[in-house]
Amino acid sequence: MSDMSIKGRPHPASVIGTGFTWVSAAAVAAVCFFIIGYLIYQGWGAINWTFLTTDPQASLMAEQAGGIRVPIVGTAVLVLGSILVALPLAIGAAIYLSEYMADDSWFTRSVRLGLEVLASVPSVVFGVFGLSVFTLAIFQDLSSGGAQGADTAFGRSFIVASIVMGIHILPFIIKVAEEAIRSVPASLRQGALALGMTKWRTIRRVVLPSAAPGIVTAAVLGMGLAAGDTAIVWLTLGGSINMAVDNWWNPSQWVEVLRGTGSTLTTYVYFNSPAGEGNAPGMAFGAALVLILLVLVFNVVAVYVGRRAAKAGKR
Amino acid sequence: MTDPEDTTPETPPLHATAIDLKDTAGRRGSDRVMPILLAAAAIISAGLVAFVVFFVADKAWPTFVAEGHKFITHGGWDQQVEGGLSGAATIFFGAKPLILGTLYTTAGAVLVSLVLGLGCAIYIAELAPAWIRRPLESVVQLLAGIPSVVFGLVGLAVVVPFIGNVILPANAADVVSDIPLEGASMLAGILVLSFMIMPFFVTVATDSLRAIPRSYVDGGLALGMTRWRTITRIQLPSAAPGLVAGLTLAAARGIGEAIALSMVAGAIAYVPNMNAGPLYFLLMPVRTMASAIVEIGGEAMNIPQVGSALFALAFLLLMISVVLSVIARWAFTMFNRRMGVVGGRRV
Repeated sequence: MSDMSIKGRPHPASVIGTGFTWVSAAAVAAVCFFIIGYLIYQGWGAINWTFLTTDPQASLMAEQAGGIRVPIVGTAVLVLGSILVALPLAIGAAIYLSEYMADDSWFTRSVRLGLEVLASVPSVVFGVFGLSVFTLAIFQDLSSGGAQGADTAFGRSFIVASIVMGIHILPFIIKVAEEAIRSVPASLRQGALALGMTKWRTIRRVVLPSAAPGIVTAAVLGMGLAAGDTAIVWLTLGGSINMAVDNWWNPSQWVEVLRGTGSTLTTYVYFNSPAGEGNAPGMAFGAALVLILLVLVFNVVAVYVGRRAAKAGKR
Repeated sequence: MTDPEDTTPETPPLHATAIDLKDTAGRRGSDRVMPILLAAAAIISAGLVAFVVFFVADKAWPTFVAEGHKFITHGGWDQQVEGGLSGAATIFFGAKPLILGTLYTTAGAVLVSLVLGLGCAIYIAELAPAWIRRPLESVVQLLAGIPSVVFGLVGLAVVVPFIGNVILPANAADVVSDIPLEGASMLAGILVLSFMIMPFFVTVATDSLRAIPRSYVDGGLALGMTRWRTITRIQLPSAAPGLVAGLTLAAARGIGEAIALSMVAGAIAYVPNMNAGPLYFLLMPVRTMASAIVEIGGEAMNIPQVGSALFALAFLLLMISVVLSVIARWAFTMFNRRMGVVGGRRV
C-alpha cells in the first residue's frame, strides 16, 4: 500500500512499467511488419509472370536464373503429400484420445507424453533420421537416383520428404484436432446415444461432423508448418533446385517425380540466399515473398474456418 | 442429423429380420474394430518418438563409444569434418564449440524474449484495449508463422550488415586476432533467434496471465494496490509456472533451430571467449549443433564416421529437447494445479 498515489497522480513505477509493456509490444509488431515490408520492398520487383512460370536454372547471372515454377509445384506436392501421410493418423489418434481414453490412466499419460516429446523433436533431427532410414535398401522403391546395384537407397525424394514431414507435423495436428473434438458439446453425444446409436456411430455421424471445421483448421495449420520448414526438405528432398525429371509436367512421369529429388520454396530461398550456392538474392526475396503470402493464406484460412466453427458452436 | 438412418429405432420390426440382423452385425463389427484402429493410430503416433530416439541413438553409438566424453569436451569440429569428407583414415570429432555455440545463442535469445515477450504478454493480456489487442495477437501469430528461412534471409540482408557496419568497431582485427570478425556473429544469431522464439513464449504467457482468476486482481485493487502493482505482485507470481513452461518451449525451439542460424551466426565452429570483453564475446562467430547438421548433412551421411558424428549431435539435440519438453509439461501441471485444475484440462 506504500505506493498508493495520494495526490491521484500515477505512481512512477506504474508509468515506467506500463510504458515498457507498450514499447515491447510495439517492438514485436514493428519487427513483424518490418520483415513483411522488407520482403515486399526487395521481392516485389522480382515477381512477374515469367518468374512464376519458368523453371529455375543453375546460373550465376540473375537474368538467366529462371523462375520458381518448380519450387512452387514442389511446395504444393510436399504439402499435399505430408498432409496425406499425417491426417489419417492424426484424426484417428485425436478421436481415440478424446473419445475413448480415460484422462488419468497410465496409458493416456504415456501416449500424451510421447506426443509432446514428438512435438519437441527439432525438424533437423527428423531430417537426418529420415535420410538414414530411407537410405536402407528395403526402401529402394521410394527414391530413385542412387548408384546402380548399390546396397543402399538414394534416400531423397518427394515420397521420403512427405513421410518425414508428415511425422513432423503429426503431433501439432493431433493437438488441434483433439481440441476441436473435445469442444463438441456432451449433450450432442448423449442425445445420439439415447437414440440408440452405438458409440462409433455417434462419433462418425454426430461428433465428427460437428468437429469438422476444427479438424480442417488443424489440417491447414499443419500444411502451413509443412510449407515453412526448410531443414527436413533440404536433407530429404535434396539440395537441388530442379526436379529430377525434366518433363515433370507429363502425367506419365509423375511416379518418377515423386520418387525423385526436387525443391520447394524454402529450399529455393536457402539455395539462392547469400549463404547458399546459388547466391541470387533478388530471386530469393521474390520466392520468400511468395512463400510468406502462402503462409499468410494458410493462416487466414485457418482463422476463418476456426471463427466459423466457433460461431456455429454458439448457435 | 438430416440422415434418416440416424433416426431409425434400433429395435427391428419382425418382418425384416434378415436385413436388420446384418445391419446390427455390421454396426457391432465397426464398434469392435474402430476402437482398435483408433488405438493403433494413437499408439503409432506416440510410439514414433521411441523409434526416432532408438534409431538416432543406434547411429550415434559408434561415435560415443569411440570418443566418450571427448566428444563434448574437445573442439576442432570444422577441420575434422573437412578431414572426414576428404577421406582421412582416422578422424576424431570434438563438438564442444557447437554445443557451446548452441547454448550461448539459445540462452541469449531466451533472455531477450523473456524481457520483451513478457512486456508484450502483459500488454496483450492486461493493458491493451480490445481494438489493439486483437490485431496484436494476430501479429504475434503471424510472427510465429514466418518460416525460419525467411528470418535467415532478412537477418542476412539487414541484421548482419548492420552489425558489421555499425556495431563492430573499426579496429576489431587488432583486438581479436585469432578469428576474423564480421557482421555474421553470435549477436546476429541471438537477435534473429529471439524474434523467432518469442511468439511461442508470448502465446503461452498471455494464456497463463489470462487464466488467473479475476478475484485475485480485484482483491489487490480493493486493498488499494495500483494496477501495475497487482500485475507485478499478484499476477506474475501466480502465473510463474506458466511463464516457465512458455520459456521452456521457446528454448526448445531455439535449440533446434538450424537454417536461420546457419545463415546469420557466422557458421564457424568457434568457442567465443571473454578475453576482449563482453562486446567482442557477442561479436564472435558461432556454429550451432542444428546448423552443423543441416549444413553438411546431405553429402556427409555416406561417410560412416562423419554420419555417426552428425547423429551424435542429433542425439544430444534430441535429449535436450526431451528434457525441455518434460520440464514444460511439469510446469504446466504445476500451473494447472495452482489454478485448481487437477487431472483434467484447463480450457
